[in-house]
Amino acid sequence: MDSLLQRMQKGPVSIRVHDVIIKGNTKTKDYIIEAEAEELRSVGSMQELVEASHLVNLKLKALEVFDSVKITLDSGPPELPGTANVIIEVVEAANPLSGQIGAYTKAEARSSTVEGSLKYKNLLGYGDIWDGSLAYGYDHSAEISAGVYFPRFKKFITPVTARAYLQSQDWLKFSSYKERSLGLSLGLFSTRHHDLAYNLAWRTLTDPSQMSSRSVRRQLGHNLLSSLKYTFKFDRRDSSMRPTRGYAFASTTQIGGLVPDSRSLRFLRQDFDLRYAVPLGFYRAALNFGISGGFVFPWGNGFLSRPSYLPERLFLGGNISPLSAFGGPTTLWGFKTRGLGPTEPRRQLNDESAGPSGVDFVGGDLAVTALADLSFDIPIRWFREKGIHAHAFACAGNVSKLTENAYRDFSIKKFAESLRTSVGVGLVIPTNLFRMELNYCYILKKSDEDRAKSGVWITFSGN
Amino acid sequence: MEQQVQEREAEELTLVTRKSCFDQIPYVESGTYVAYNNENDGVIECLKNDGIVDLDSDFHSLPDWVSTKAMISSWLSDAIMYELWVGSDGKSAYEIYYSDLSWPIGKALFLKQVYLVKQRLGITKDNAEQREYEIYKRAKFAYGALSTRLGEQKFLFDDRPSSLDAAFLGHALITLYALPESSVLRSRLLEYDNIVRYAETLKLELIETALSSSGPHFHPVPSSSAPRKGPSSWKSKPKSKSKREKTEEEKTFKKRAKYFLAAQLVAVLLFLSVMGGYDSGDVELDEDDEGFAYD
Repeated sequence: MDSLLQRMQKGPVSIRVHDVIIKGNTKTKDYIIEAEAEELRSVGSMQELVEASHLVNLKLKALEVFDSVKITLDSGPPELPGTANVIIEVVEAANPLSGQIGAYTKAEARSSTVEGSLKYKNLLGYGDIWDGSLAYGYDHSAEISAGVYFPRFKKFITPVTARAYLQSQDWLKFSSYKERSLGLSLGLFSTRHHDLAYNLAWRTLTDPSQMSSRSVRRQLGHNLLSSLKYTFKFDRRDSSMRPTRGYAFASTTQIGGLVPDSRSLRFLRQDFDLRYAVPLGFYRAALNFGISGGFVFPWGNGFLSRPSYLPERLFLGGNISPLSAFGGPTTLWGFKTRGLGPTEPRRQLNDESAGPSGVDFVGGDLAVTALADLSFDIPIRWFREKGIHAHAFACAGNVSKLTENAYRDFSIKKFAESLRTSVGVGLVIPTNLFRMELNYCYILKKSDEDRAKSGVWITFSGN
Repeated sequence: MEQQVQEREAEELTLVTRKSCFDQIPYVESGTYVAYNNENDGVIECLKNDGIVDLDSDFHSLPDWVSTKAMISSWLSDAIMYELWVGSDGKSAYEIYYSDLSWPIGKALFLKQVYLVKQRLGITKDNAEQREYEIYKRAKFAYGALSTRLGEQKFLFDDRPSSLDAAFLGHALITLYALPESSVLRSRLLEYDNIVRYAETLKLELIETALSSSGPHFHPVPSSSAPRKGPSSWKSKPKSKSKREKTEEEKTFKKRAKYFLAAQLVAVLLFLSVMGGYDSGDVELDEDDEGFAYD
């Protein structure tokens, strides 16, 4: 062993892998493990072999279906010098059932969700993970879903997921409607940067309060949604919880109406988000800049005069930190859920005793937000150890309607003049489960009907 | 979605009858005022109560009035519901309500509605034939009675328009024009010439002329310019709107309780995670091992 180590220190020791022996798998198919061990076939030296073995070990552990993975290097058959055999010993998970609870901020959601799920691993031996989960979001949304994840399904080179879900979301307080979706989503292609998913859903909008405004009333009912969503993400920042250097870019394109039936929802939605972090050198301070925007438009006959589909419109506002919500325009500091944008008066009751009914926030077709955030450590050691730091921020954003011929009245000057802006300072408390911000926000500019307040805000963003 | 728009001089009253689904409730709107069909006994009653239009002020005392109203809103309502969803195999109903929806949704909702209608009319496999006979018999009696009431007049009561004309006209027009030719109910109605004439005359006067002319059609006297359309007289399943009026105190109390609980939870979580330390060095496999990613 010593002589081998000495030889390795001097220079590359050439060796090649003769055979990969897999032991211990009773349920898991061989080709699943072999596929993860591809690197081993192409090594040329001892150093590369050790490195590759380490990688394969990590990859197999990441499948989450094995309790332990042990890779042993053995010498190859005596008649073939300079070869090695790699023995992969796996111990399949004794208890295939596991549960977890977590807090997440999904790109589409405007708020954090708490999700509890039960997983069953390796039912079919393909490294598949089946799960049933219940999620509850802060914005009155609830979802029950069941899904399956195949790391390597037959000929597919990337993992494939399928998920059936029943989701309900209550927007009565903000836009006078409730949304319910029963659907199936298929993750077709997923790598570190690209993600392609197909979604087929039956969506129903109802208004049990019967107080909605005119355009919401027109949109109530059932709809079939068949859409393809492509996400491109590129994150070169050092951390997503507290970025201090680097840049990131995300772009999401969603096309709805991919069935020959012209009665299904046809729309095109594009979101993008660009972030840039500049380190400042003292107290681990960093300047974060971000700009994000999105637009949605129906397509098909007469698309210029048709309204866009209400749940797919762009809404700004919510109780999450704009810094954590990466993927598209979501919120501004200081503005409540769906708190800014085009509004419409609700139904007015003929009763004299009833007060004014208020307005519905009906969302827009074009939204832009921009943020600037200066984060820095607090000079007290206790705070630094816990990761608690302070930040000062400023943000601006606006939402505008373009469909139903409203684009004719649209002008960039008017859009810029009606930009909402807010500034503030606060404390950031990152924990293992979520990132909490305790901020004081001051609204510099808002429209009369916006739901925003200057004051103390607490926001939670999941990992 | 289809809308029929009738314009008055100063105000615009729009009746919205949504084609795209049976469980959407028809309503009449004007600006921010809306009268839903499942509130206060229907659109017509809403318009009366809110002082917009009332055609029935003199008729309530007539003995025939109440019984005719009851007959139209029970026997004839059941008959048209049966004929649309069960009698004519549901072809017309599917065409009216679900042709705008994508096929899988439309089909599923249609089947669900057929089941609900059968339940509501008390139709089971055993009594299907007998129920059908009953429903058609009652409809025939109703048509006979209404034909006698109508005689050669232009309207049912006192030769003046009333809400019962609206209700019966709606039924008659749907039966004559929306049901297929093979429909039993339709053939029953066709036996009464004066009703057919009544329906055709009013259809020409009120609906077709209004649609073709662009200017205001009715003079602005509130009592005679209501847009009368059949579907507004259909009572869709009355959804009981029980809005619990919470007092202000209860609301504040509940809000405070929620915040208190949330604060407790957050405090516990914070204690567990912050006091337990925070891993500021994220082990990001993706960053360290380039080859690990599925590039």
